[in-house]
Amino acid sequence: MRLPEIERGDGFANRLLISFISMVSGMRLPDAARVAFYHKEFFGVPVGAWTQAAMRGPSPWSVAERELMACMVAKWNTCAFCVGAHGAVAAKEMQRPPVDEVLSDFRTAPISGRLKSALAFLEVMTLRPKDLKAEHAKTALSAGVSPQALIDAIAVGALFSIVTRYANALDFAMPTPEEFERAANMLLKRGYAS
Amino acid sequence: MKTSIRPDHRALAEALRRRVLEGPGETRQGLRQASAERAAGGPAAEAPYDDLARQIGEAAHRVTDAQVSSVLTATGSEKATFEIIAAAALGAGLLRWEQAMKVLDEVTNASA
Repeated sequence: MRLPEIERGDGFANRLLISFISMVSGMRLPDAARVAFYHKEFFGVPVGAWTQAAMRGPSPWSVAERELMACMVAKWNTCAFCVGAHGAVAAKEMQRPPVDEVLSDFRTAPISGRLKSALAFLEVMTLRPKDLKAEHAKTALSAGVSPQALIDAIAVGALFSIVTRYANALDFAMPTPEEFERAANMLLKRGYAS
Repeated sequence: MKTSIRPDHRALAEALRRRVLEGPGETRQGLRQASAERAAGGPAAEAPYDDLARQIGEAAHRVTDAQVSSVLTATGSEKATFEIIAAAALGAGLLRWEQAMKVLDEVTNASA
């Protein structure tokens, strides 16, 4: 973590909260949660509101599918923390082997054709946004992705283009695989809202 | 925890944009906006913010301690430095959001 005040917490209440959650959960509170508590009204509240809606709100996509999208955007953005965190949540919902297959090559992984089409759209959006054309949207829609489902996928893609960037810029500490698993339980139970 | 109301992603994206780029903060709104634009491939911002914002937009995993330290020295505050990092990350994300929604709108409006 490049900004120690985020790690400690800003203000007595947040420092106490970070210590309490770490003690109760038996693990160091991940940096993603520390950022959510920091300068909260400026960033944590509005980004948390959109993330909660995108990841847990009603959608044609399951929670596991949206977590997989987040995981893939993280992979394309070389964010090991977010690959670990969201891969762990997806694995809780759909088992680990298919998550690893998606990470290896989503085009040959055992997932639906519509999810593959959404991921293909998100890949261009993430890596070459200025190359994104109506043809890419048409291809996804013709593969069975509804316009609403594509909007939901785009929201996940946009949010994790943001999250992965601040995670990398701040140099989030890497939890162990066991800690990612425990954090995944918290994310499934509590969600993302600050 | 799941919520039951269908999300209005456009409104949520706009609320985030307005809060981070137009709302109160320790840094000037203009500096946050310039950092966001820079991370989205826009014109150079003032030094030393330009280097960090550009790096966050292009490849945030290559951000260095020195790039963050330079901004911390210039702002004199971790909270202000966080605002610049958040604004740059947001700029890169909103570029993708707007471009993707534009191409989807082109297709759905054409078939309506």
